[in-house]
Amino acid sequence: MKDFDEIYQRLEAIKAPGLLSADRPREGDPEDKTDKGRAGEAFVLIEPAAAKEFLIAVRDDAELAFDILADLTATDPDTEDENFWLNLHLLSLGHGHRLAIKAMVPKADPVVPSMVDAHMAAHFHERECAEMFGITFEGNPDPRNILLPDDWEGHPLRKDYEFPKEYHGISCE
Amino acid sequence: MTEINTPPEPPEAKTIEIPETARTLPSGEREFMLDVSTSDLEVNMGPQHPATHGVMRILIRTDGEVVTGGQVHLGYLHRCAEKIGENVEWLQYLPYTDRYDYLSAMNNNLGYSLAVEAVMGVEIPRRATLLRTICAELNRIGSHLIAFGTYGLDIGAFTPFFYCFREREWMMALFEKICGARLTYSYIRIGGVFNDAPVGWLKEVERFCDVFEEKWQEYYDLLVVNHIFVQRTAKIGVITPEMAVDYGLTGPMLRGSGIDFDLRRDMPYMAYGEISKAGVYDVPLGRGEKGELGDCWDRVYVRVQEMMESIKIIRWCLGCIEDGPVIGDIPKVLKVPPGEAYVGIENPRGELGHYVASDGGKVAKRCRVRGPSFCNVAVLEKLLPGTFLADSVAIIGSTDVVIGETDR
Amino acid sequence: MNLMALEAATAGNAFTELLGGIAPEGTPTWALWLGAAGAGVGILVAFVSLVAMFSVWLERKVSAHIQCRYGPMYAGGWHGWAQTLADGVKLLLKEDMIPLGADKPLFMLAPALVLGAIFGALVALPLAPGFFFADVNMGLFLILAFSSLTTIGVVMAGWASNSKWSLYGAMREAAQVVAYEVPLGVSLFVPLMVAGTFSLTEASAAQAGWFGMHWFIFQNPFMLPAFIIFFIAALAETKRAPFDLPEAESELVAGFMTEYSGIRWSFFFMEEYAAMFLMSAVGVVFFFGGYHSPLTALFPEEATTGLLYQLVCAGTLIVKSFVGVFVMMWLRWTLPRLRIDQVMSMGYKYLTPLALVCVLGAAIWETIFA
Repeated sequence: MKDFDEIYQRLEAIKAPGLLSADRPREGDPEDKTDKGRAGEAFVLIEPAAAKEFLIAVRDDAELAFDILADLTATDPDTEDENFWLNLHLLSLGHGHRLAIKAMVPKADPVVPSMVDAHMAAHFHERECAEMFGITFEGNPDPRNILLPDDWEGHPLRKDYEFPKEYHGISCE
Repeated sequence: MTEINTPPEPPEAKTIEIPETARTLPSGEREFMLDVSTSDLEVNMGPQHPATHGVMRILIRTDGEVVTGGQVHLGYLHRCAEKIGENVEWLQYLPYTDRYDYLSAMNNNLGYSLAVEAVMGVEIPRRATLLRTICAELNRIGSHLIAFGTYGLDIGAFTPFFYCFREREWMMALFEKICGARLTYSYIRIGGVFNDAPVGWLKEVERFCDVFEEKWQEYYDLLVVNHIFVQRTAKIGVITPEMAVDYGLTGPMLRGSGIDFDLRRDMPYMAYGEISKAGVYDVPLGRGEKGELGDCWDRVYVRVQEMMESIKIIRWCLGCIEDGPVIGDIPKVLKVPPGEAYVGIENPRGELGHYVASDGGKVAKRCRVRGPSFCNVAVLEKLLPGTFLADSVAIIGSTDVVIGETDR
Repeated sequence: MNLMALEAATAGNAFTELLGGIAPEGTPTWALWLGAAGAGVGILVAFVSLVAMFSVWLERKVSAHIQCRYGPMYAGGWHGWAQTLADGVKLLLKEDMIPLGADKPLFMLAPALVLGAIFGALVALPLAPGFFFADVNMGLFLILAFSSLTTIGVVMAGWASNSKWSLYGAMREAAQVVAYEVPLGVSLFVPLMVAGTFSLTEASAAQAGWFGMHWFIFQNPFMLPAFIIFFIAALAETKRAPFDLPEAESELVAGFMTEYSGIRWSFFFMEEYAAMFLMSAVGVVFFFGGYHSPLTALFPEEATTGLLYQLVCAGTLIVKSFVGVFVMMWLRWTLPRLRIDQVMSMGYKYLTPLALVCVLGAAIWETIFA
């Protein structure tokens, strides 16, 4: 079991593809009232285009061995924000450690290569993520809607989503 | 798999070639058997079907009794849980967590509370931690009882189901005493638990443990080692360890394939680290005892054994629980500092992950739920082809899917 | 059809004699026969309905007590005895639904055929020396033939329903019955060799001696395995668990009955319970002494023509048959269901050869010792 710093050092050592930086929780600045710091867990930032290669690299490295893709999702932080966050959570069965990964996907062109080749587990998550946020996962073997009806308009988990007034003649108000 | 919604192409008319093996009749004609061309039948298993445990739809293509393809359709029970999470206050969201895996609502409450606490960094009183553990493990027993009982129904044995419900009834009565609800508890709150256990409740839990150990043997003898049951489930729906890891399976599905991993022991949260160190319980694993490693029987066996392990954990907690406060210092209107955290806990069905992101307000920025059933059900499309129709029911049952959780 | 033969067949029948007693002098025999036939049909229908209703109630109570429940407790007062009656009334009043796209005539004919076939089979069952509808000298053949006819009804129902699940159920039923008719028939050869007759009346009568315990099952060592084979095959014939694949609830929703509701559905239900009773009764007649028991042996020779003796005999047979029905229920609520390939391999690979071995052994035994 490794803590985040050890994992990050190892990631740098193996030159994990697309690795950008680490984001650790920090205390707020007592002088500056607007800066409240950040709580919670630490994560690494990666290049979304290299997500698949990154996953394969950390999966195959014996010291990291992140063999389970626990979660793949996205976050729309704000209406004004230019990016979606693509959140990945990895789990290593052998070592019992986790890694949280974040990638910034531009809202203007939300296209990410599919991660199904790295982890089959990504398949359903990608389909859900695609319909909820409108992120296209290129190379997903079955890119239909999974939870929403096939003809649903809009991407509900985007912050600027407007709920439809009616659906097939059923009033939603 | 090809697109199953389009009807299969009619077979093209072929000119028949006379094979060399054809017999020559005295009249000079050649006689041989033609391959009979049959067309596949596409059947909707669900949304309303007894075997899909809810409103899942599996479009299966069958050739006679043999399933040649299956496609999982989800979403019939989609209730926008994640969107609601971004619109209600932190504490208000707690009752919604009850409703995704409604068979283990305590564990869902726990997962969400732990995730929010991870962002907030709250100290949980000792008594609350132990009460949480007892409730979570009791709920695990209840959930596995349903999984096991309904699996018996899938295989065609009705009676074990009622035996399971008999004990689950008691479990629900215990929960009713501690929180007033029987299915959707909302008992485990952010910062601790809602209320202290009523007088005598812990004694009754102990009695439940005593009785349950006796009754457990009944299930085991009646169904788990029943010859027909073993014949129906052994060597069926085999998930190899590699496949289990690739598909991101967790919980009994993973351990049924022989992978020794339990979040409670390997990535401890709450009091589980202490419990595991004390060697209180074992992690049951599928060993391919009756058939192959990772078959349906192994998964059922793991669940049945886990019930007994939960009893051991409950007993340990009952042994060391002391009086004290049950909820930490939590304000009435919760404000979570900016930050984000992902917490995965061992739900009866696998890893229940909550990813919460806060921007410092009263409402979450993102409230993501990683339901174990959602990930486990993905493996069905791989397992179904090549099985019998009756086996497909056995395989669907062995994934122990709860639709409230896959669809959320 | 030769009227004389019919008369001969019904000679000694209680109804004909009863009617002969009350009818005015000079009534032609055909009228007597017709009257007896009418009365017989009425009594048969009433009897089958009663048996089916009682069986349904019994099944509910047996299953309930096996599963730590009470089952019906209110309707009628005592342990919900009138529950089936109430359910029957409800089913009668339900809307008669025929799915769109179903083959209407076949859909309506199928339950009638199924129920009619089982009535036909029960005709040859003697409840007591004088209580029978027809003393058919090939009674066993008649029963087996008629009970196979129910399969045609089931296949018809499955096909006519225009539902894939129904079709699956029907095809399973067809495959299963074809596989199990053979061991069922062959295993019955063993008692037939001892009895030397196909008539159920004669077979019953032949088991009278030694305090009414001169049962075929004790006659030679191949009887017990033959009975076990018969019983298993009978379970498969009557679509009872663990062979309830045609209606396999968790797999095929309700199999061939999926699209049926109301009174038509209840016909299938009645058929199932009547068939259970019939198969147990055949087992009782050919293995367990028919209507003979130590109780019937108490009657002196001259009393055996009296009504009391007849009633005791009929009661004995019915009680014995319900023991068989009870065992079938017991199995149903204990065992899981088999898979279709396991059912097939059991029928073809194990039961049929074993039944043939039993026949061979019994034949040798009978040649040497009898």
